[in-house]
Amino acid sequence: MKTLTFTVARFDPATDDSPHFEKYTVEVNEGARILHALHAVRDAIDPTLAYRYCCGSGQCGSCAVRVDGEPVLACMEEATEGMVVEALNLPVERDLMVEMESYLSGMEGLVPVGETRLLTRAENDAIRPLRDCIECLACVSGCPALQVAEFSGPTAMRQEMRIALDPRDPRDRVERTVADGLFTCTTCQRCVQVCPKEIKIPGKAIEKLRELANRKGLTLPKHKEVALLVQRTGRSVERIKPTFMEQVPDVIEPVGEVKGEVAFFVGCMYNSRLPETALDMIEVMRRNGYRIHIPKDQVCCGSPLIRTGQTWFLDELKHTNIRVFEKTGCDVVLTMCAGCGSTLKNDYVTPFTVKDVNEVLTEGGFEAPEKLPVRVTYHDPCHLYRGQDVHDPPREILRSLVEEFVEMPARCCGAGGGVRSGLPEEAAELGRQRGEAIEETGAEMVVTSCPFCEFHIAEHTDKPVINITTLLREGYAEKDEGSEEEKAGEK
Amino acid sequence: MPGDDVVDCHVLVIGSGGAGCRAALEAQQYGDTVLLSRTLTGKGGCTIMAEGGYNAVLNENDSCLLHYEDTLRGGAYLNDPELAEVLVAESPERFFDLARWGSVFDVAEDFVAAQRPFGGQRFNRTCYAGDRSGHEIMATLVEQVRNSDIHQIQEEAAIELLMEDGRAAGAFTLDRDGTPGVIRADAVVIATGGGTQIYDISTNCAAGTGDGFALGWRAGGELVDMEMIQFHPTGAVYPPDARGRLITEAVRGEGGVLKNSEGERFMARYDPGRMELSTRDVVSRAIANEILEGRGTPHGGVYLDVSHLPAAQIEERLPIMLEQYLTFGVDIRTEPMEVAPTAHHIMGGLRISPGCQTTIPSLFACGEVTGGVHGANRLGGNALADTQVFGKRAGEGAGKAAVRKKADYAARLARQEERFARFENGTTPPHEIVSALKRAMWDGAGIFRTKEGLLAAQAEVTRLSALIPKAYGQRGRLECCTVENMLCLSSLIIRGALVREESRGAHVRKDVTQDWMPERSPFGHTIQKGDSCIIEKKGGAA
Repeated sequence: MKTLTFTVARFDPATDDSPHFEKYTVEVNEGARILHALHAVRDAIDPTLAYRYCCGSGQCGSCAVRVDGEPVLACMEEATEGMVVEALNLPVERDLMVEMESYLSGMEGLVPVGETRLLTRAENDAIRPLRDCIECLACVSGCPALQVAEFSGPTAMRQEMRIALDPRDPRDRVERTVADGLFTCTTCQRCVQVCPKEIKIPGKAIEKLRELANRKGLTLPKHKEVALLVQRTGRSVERIKPTFMEQVPDVIEPVGEVKGEVAFFVGCMYNSRLPETALDMIEVMRRNGYRIHIPKDQVCCGSPLIRTGQTWFLDELKHTNIRVFEKTGCDVVLTMCAGCGSTLKNDYVTPFTVKDVNEVLTEGGFEAPEKLPVRVTYHDPCHLYRGQDVHDPPREILRSLVEEFVEMPARCCGAGGGVRSGLPEEAAELGRQRGEAIEETGAEMVVTSCPFCEFHIAEHTDKPVINITTLLREGYAEKDEGSEEEKAGEK
Repeated sequence: MPGDDVVDCHVLVIGSGGAGCRAALEAQQYGDTVLLSRTLTGKGGCTIMAEGGYNAVLNENDSCLLHYEDTLRGGAYLNDPELAEVLVAESPERFFDLARWGSVFDVAEDFVAAQRPFGGQRFNRTCYAGDRSGHEIMATLVEQVRNSDIHQIQEEAAIELLMEDGRAAGAFTLDRDGTPGVIRADAVVIATGGGTQIYDISTNCAAGTGDGFALGWRAGGELVDMEMIQFHPTGAVYPPDARGRLITEAVRGEGGVLKNSEGERFMARYDPGRMELSTRDVVSRAIANEILEGRGTPHGGVYLDVSHLPAAQIEERLPIMLEQYLTFGVDIRTEPMEVAPTAHHIMGGLRISPGCQTTIPSLFACGEVTGGVHGANRLGGNALADTQVFGKRAGEGAGKAAVRKKADYAARLARQEERFARFENGTTPPHEIVSALKRAMWDGAGIFRTKEGLLAAQAEVTRLSALIPKAYGQRGRLECCTVENMLCLSSLIIRGALVREESRGAHVRKDVTQDWMPERSPFGHTIQKGDSCIIEKKGGAA
C-alpha cells in the first residue's frame, strides 16, 4: 500500500454554479489506477463522490475523465501523486459524471437494407480499424473544432465512415456528413491522441469522407481553387515574390567540414511565402555542418489535397517527389514544414528517411547558441507534435536558446485541415483562443515550427511569432557578436 | 392514473447486455418495449468485455450434433438437453442476424467467418472479432437499439419485481439519484447477467452483482444448479487492483502454453490429450493445484506464454491483451503473463423452458441469469451464443404475452419505502459488507469446497445479512439494494453447494469421495425455491 494525494473537481448541481476542487489523501495499492483512487475516496472519505465506471478493463467506455487536462480512461491509467481529476469537457451532471446519453443516442446506426452476408476480407480490413470505438467520448471532449463550430464530432464521423464502408447499408449520407460539419475538422489529431484505442479518425474517417464528398461535388470552393492551382503549377501557393528555390543553388555546402548530408523538402509555404525563414534554417544547418541538396523539380507534397479529400492526382505528386529525392542519393530528407513532414512520413512510402529539422538538429547534436534574454512560449504545431510525434526536440533547442521557456497546453491554432481557407471564421476563433493562451503564459514571444501556424497565430496575438530556426540563427548571431567583442576587448 | 414516476409498456426488459439488447429488439416487434439499464445502454454487463468468441456451427465439416456433444461433455452432463439443443441449433442463425445488422467479425476468406479452436471442442467453431468479440456484438446491437423505437431507460435499476396474482407485472426501480419509480408491463424479461462480483477475485464488471437471481428468487421463482460457478483458468494476478481481470481463452486458442515455476508444461499431467485446451474446470483446478503445491510464480500464479508466436499474430489476434499488459509494463510478445483462476461465470440460474419462460407466469429470462444451458461447466464461446439464442427467444416469448390490465402498485411501493427507511438508519457502510462477503465466498465457496468451508461461509453470510447497509443520502439507496442482492446470491450458491454432495464440472467437493464419472452421476439439478433446496435424483424424481 502507498499514500496518494490528489485533487478532484466536485460539482453538485443543487448547490454549485461551477466545479470546485477538493484535495484527498488515500491509501491505495501499488500500481493502482485512477479508478481505484476514486474508489478509495468514496469508501474512506466521501461516499457521495459520483463517477461512472463498469467493466474496469478499458472496454465499456464509462469512466473517461480528464487528468491534468488530458482525457483518459480512469480504469486504465495509473494514479499519480498530485494528479488533478476533472470531468470530461462536456456538460457536467455531478462531480465526474457528464451527460453522455444525448450524444450517444444521436450516433447513426447501420440500417440493414442491403443483403445479409459476411464481409470480404478487404471490406473487413477497411472497417475494422473504425470499429474499436468504446464510445467513451474522450475525443468529443478533446476536439477543438467542436468547441467553436457546428460539428457532430470525431466519433460521429468515425461512425459515418464505418457505415459508408459497409455494403450492408447502401444509403448515401455524404451530404448529411457535410451538414454535420465534415469540413470543420482541422485534422489536428487531438482525437487520436486522446483515444484509448488510438483510432485514426482524421486519416481513416474525416479525410475519406471528404473524398466521398469530393466525388459528389461537395468540396468547399476555396479548397477546389487550391487543388486546381496544384494541378496547374505543382504548387499550392502562388508566386508573388522571388521564391526560396530561385535564391539558392542545388547544393549548399556547410561552414567548415561536412558532418552530414540531407536533401531539403522545401514545401510550398516556405518556398513562396516565407523564403526568409527557410534561409534562416539553411544557415543554421550550414553552421552545424550539413551539406544540403535542394532538388528544384520537387513539387507540392499533396497535403492540401489529402486533408480536403481531393486525391485524384495525388499519386503523380508522390511519384515526382520520390523520384526527385531518390536521385539526390541522400538517406535523409529534411523537412521544416510540419504539414509536409507529417505527409511524407504518414501518407508516403519512401525509400528514404524523413526527418524534421528539430529532429535532425537534436539527434545530430547542435552547437550551443548564446542564450537570448527573453521569456518565450512554444506552440506545438499539430502536424509536428501529433502528426510526427516530435515533442521534445524543439524544447531541447529552446532550453539552450532562451533564458526562460514557459509551456502552454498544446492545442490546435485553427490553421490546419483546410479550415483557414475554407471556414475562416472557425479558424479565427481557434486562433483567438491561442492568442489568449499565449497571453496567459506572460511570454514576450511565441516560437513555433510550422509555416501555417506562424502565419495564422500572428494574426491573433500582439506578440511576435517566430520560427525556431530563425531564433536559433539569432542565438548564433548573438554568440558571434559576443565573441567578436571579446576579441576586440583582447586587442 | 399513473404519475410521472410510472412507465407503462408491453414488455419490460431488465438489463442491456448482449441478452437484454437482443431480447428488446425482438420484443419491440410485438409492442412497446422498455429496455431498463442500470448503466448507460450497452455499457454494463459482461458481454462487452467478452473477448474470445461466439460458437456456431458454420462449416460443413462440423455438425450441430458434435457441438451438442461437446457442450454436454463440457457441462458434465448436467445440462438441460433441450436447452443445449436449442443453443447449438440456433446459434448460426443468430450469428447471421448479427451479420445482417452490420457486425464485423473476422473473415478467413471472402464471406467466410474465421473460426478459432477453443477449449473442450473438437472443431474450430469459435467465431471472433480479434479479442474484442463481445464488444463487436454490443456495438452491433446498440446500433440497432438506437435505430429502433425501444424506450431506453438508462442508469436506473430494478430493485424488486412488481407481482400481481402470482404473475410478473413490472418492476420497482431506483434511478441514480435514488428516486423510486414503477415500470408496468404485460411481461418481464430478466437479462441481468451474472454475479461473480461476490468473489474476491472476479472477471466481472461492476454490474455483475447477481441482481436478477435475487429478483427472481424473491418473487418465488425456481433456480437450478446455483453452486455451479465457473472459475476461468486465466485471470491476471498483478498488480493487485488488476487481480482477476480476464485473460481470454483465445490466448490458449492461438497457441499459448501454461508453465509452472519449474518451466514444466504441467497440463501434460492433468489432461495430456487436450493440454491447455482442456475444459475450463479442468485447467482451473490444474493451475490452482500447481500453486497450492508450491510451483507458482512470485505473484502467486502460473506462466501463460505466447512469446513463441509471431509478434504479428499477437498484434492482430490479441490486441486488447497486448494493450492491457503493456499498460502494466509487460510485453507479451517477449515475456510470459502470470495468471491464476478467477471467478467468471455462473452456470446456474433461473429455471427456464426452451421458450425462456421461468417458473413464474409472465416472467422470462435469458443469458447468464438462467440455468441449465451450460450444465456444470460452460464451454468458452457458448456464452455469447447463449445471449443471442435465448435473448431472441425471451423477447419473442414476452412479446407474445397477452395484454393485461396494469397492476396496482401503491401498497407494494410503500414496502419499498420502508426498505429505504431501514437503509437510512443502516449500521454498516455497504463496501465493508461487500469486502467481507467477497473474502468469505472466495475462501469457503471457491474452486475447492468442503462441507466445513461452506458452512463457515454460510455463517459469515448470515452474520453479514444481519447488518443493515447504510445509505448515505437518497443516492446511496441503490448500493444498499445491491448489497442485499449479493448476499442473497451468495446464500443460493452455498446452499446448492452443500446439497450437491459430489464433484461435478466446476463444483468440487474435496470432502466427498465418489466412484462415478459425471455421466453416471446419480444426481440431477439442484433446485431452489424460497427456503427449499433439493437435489434431483437420477430418473428425474427429487
